[in-house]
Amino acid sequence: MSGSIEVRGLSRTFHTTVRRPGFLGGVRSLVNPERVAKEAVCDISFDVAPGELLALLGPNGAGKSTTIKMLTGILTPTAGEARVAGVVPYEERERNARNIGAVFGQRTQLWWDLPVRESFSILRDIYEVPKAEHAARLKEFDELLALSSFWDTRVRHLSLGQRVRSDMAAALLHDPPVVFLDEPTIGMDVVVKEQVREFLRHQVEERGRTVLLTTHDMTEVERLAERVVLINHGRLVLDGTLDEIRRKFGSTWQVRATLADPHTPVEPLPGITLLRREGPQVVFGPDGPTAPTVHQALKQVIERYEVTDIALDEAELEDVMRAAYVQSEVRVEDRAGGA
Amino acid sequence: MSLNALRIIWRVTRLNFRAQLEYRSEFLMMIAIGAIWQVSVIVFATVLLSRFTGMGGWDSSDVLLIPATRMLAHALFVLFLGRMHGVGRHIQEGRIDTYLVRPMPVHRQVQLEFFPTNAIGDMTVAVGLMVGALSRSQLDWTAGRITYLIACLIGGMLLEAAMFTVVASASLRFPAADYWSRWLEELLGTFGSYPLNVLPRAVGGFLTFGLPLAFVAYFPAAVLTGHGDSTGVPYWLAAASPLLGALAYLGARLLWRWSLGHYTGVNG
Ligand SMILES: Nc1ncnc2c1ncn2[C@@H]1O[C@H](COP(=O)(O)OP(=O)(O)OP(=O)(O)O)[C@@H](O)[C@H]1O
Ligand SMILES: [Mg+2]
Repeated sequence: MSGSIEVRGLSRTFHTTVRRPGFLGGVRSLVNPERVAKEAVCDISFDVAPGELLALLGPNGAGKSTTIKMLTGILTPTAGEARVAGVVPYEERERNARNIGAVFGQRTQLWWDLPVRESFSILRDIYEVPKAEHAARLKEFDELLALSSFWDTRVRHLSLGQRVRSDMAAALLHDPPVVFLDEPTIGMDVVVKEQVREFLRHQVEERGRTVLLTTHDMTEVERLAERVVLINHGRLVLDGTLDEIRRKFGSTWQVRATLADPHTPVEPLPGITLLRREGPQVVFGPDGPTAPTVHQALKQVIERYEVTDIALDEAELEDVMRAAYVQSEVRVEDRAGGA
Repeated sequence: MSLNALRIIWRVTRLNFRAQLEYRSEFLMMIAIGAIWQVSVIVFATVLLSRFTGMGGWDSSDVLLIPATRMLAHALFVLFLGRMHGVGRHIQEGRIDTYLVRPMPVHRQVQLEFFPTNAIGDMTVAVGLMVGALSRSQLDWTAGRITYLIACLIGGMLLEAAMFTVVASASLRFPAADYWSRWLEELLGTFGSYPLNVLPRAVGGFLTFGLPLAFVAYFPAAVLTGHGDSTGVPYWLAAASPLLGALAYLGARLLWRWSLGHYTGVNG
């Protein structure tokens, strides 16, 4: 079974009523409610190939969770369509459920009063996993996530990190080809986060699972994802590799060079501007939309000047993302203004 | 329902029950709460009924059949289908979302969430009351009557489940609808144990056609004790109580399914 995800023109509008301010406003809202339509997800299309890990990124309220809910069969889209491992999730919910694993960082899917291991064995029955296979997988997961130190504890007594690790194992026990994770590492300490990332990497590289992940942790994105899909206000802003995103939005690099001769006159290079000069120390930065990447800039500086030392500061992915979010904000506004 | 499904239900129930056993004091307290709740309803009903003369023309041993039927049906409901009652909380906590990503009907997952320990208390009291009612009854308990009584108990359980499933379906759209389930529980507990003909007509009418409470115990008991002609509804309608319970439950489950398809989710 091929674990691909295909999303075509997927949209979801929520209808809510807004309350008018004040007491009289409240009464008026009761009699004549003002309905507003909120386009949480609007005409989104992308593909995830089998065995690929894709990070779905965007600021708060961008529509990430709503997208995942449609792909897991929780919500029905208002327009467009999606296929997960060949199944339309919201039409064949239970069939889709057998093909996917899902982890929602904020909520557990385990039985609250039962020890973790008993939840696991119930899930084994539900998904009809053969006993030997179940035991082998549990062993594998235990090695990666160190579950055995707490798996005889009731779920209600687990710490957050322990619970999410248990949830992660629970979501993958039936060997699903496709896995959805909505902020899986929220609230975890650095050690556990790394453990979880290692686990996910293993699931993608060794087990060939397709993973769609949302997170606000850019370190996580850097460590795990090659490709990202960026959405804002429910619209797709960008679908590309991390490098492409850096090139597009990460125009905040700096090249710091120490000139061999401190009296050399320094002029801007094509697409590169001189930011500062302190004696032999010069700092270059990108200039305009045609700015080269940091690596090209480095090359140009070395070719043009005789330097004794050179260093570069690449923009943190976090800064790149901030730039991407802000710019996509402007673009969405343009579109709204034009419409 | 497949064999595997039944096995899972049995297994989860057993595990849930064992989990509750481990909290011993909580376990015993839950049973006590169930029992005390039921007993207090009975005491209240007895006191109130003894104030009425004639009890709407019913013999006192016949009247006892009404609370006994209602309570046993209710205990069965709590035991088998009662979790529908707290579903609003599940919805607000987003648990429904996690149920939706599992290959099992959501309704069943709601039922398997925990073991209803208080049902043991409910059941004990209700069985006791039913035994008392049957032993004092002067009716001839033929196989036909007993079968009809059992059908009515199941029908009553399904009818109560139907009412709570309707409220649960509403809370899928409007989480605040869950408050109605508390109101419903109060109302059923308060009025379920009386011959409705001692109540004002309008109230009786409401409890027949508004909330179909009359079909849980009053109509079945009336039919069993030969008062089926004086209930205020045609005899055939009163006699069809168990069937109506089953139909109401079926309808409620369809509504639930439809509502799940239109579920908008909680944010987060
Ligand atoms: N059930 C709902 N009813 C009404 N509006 C909703 C509902 N669910 C989501 N929304 C709205 O849709 C938009 C997208 O929400 P969504 O939860 O998908 O964002 P997100 O990208 O996951 O954000 P975050 O990073 O904060 O988790 C938000 O504006 C939100 O208020
Ligand atoms: Mg979210």
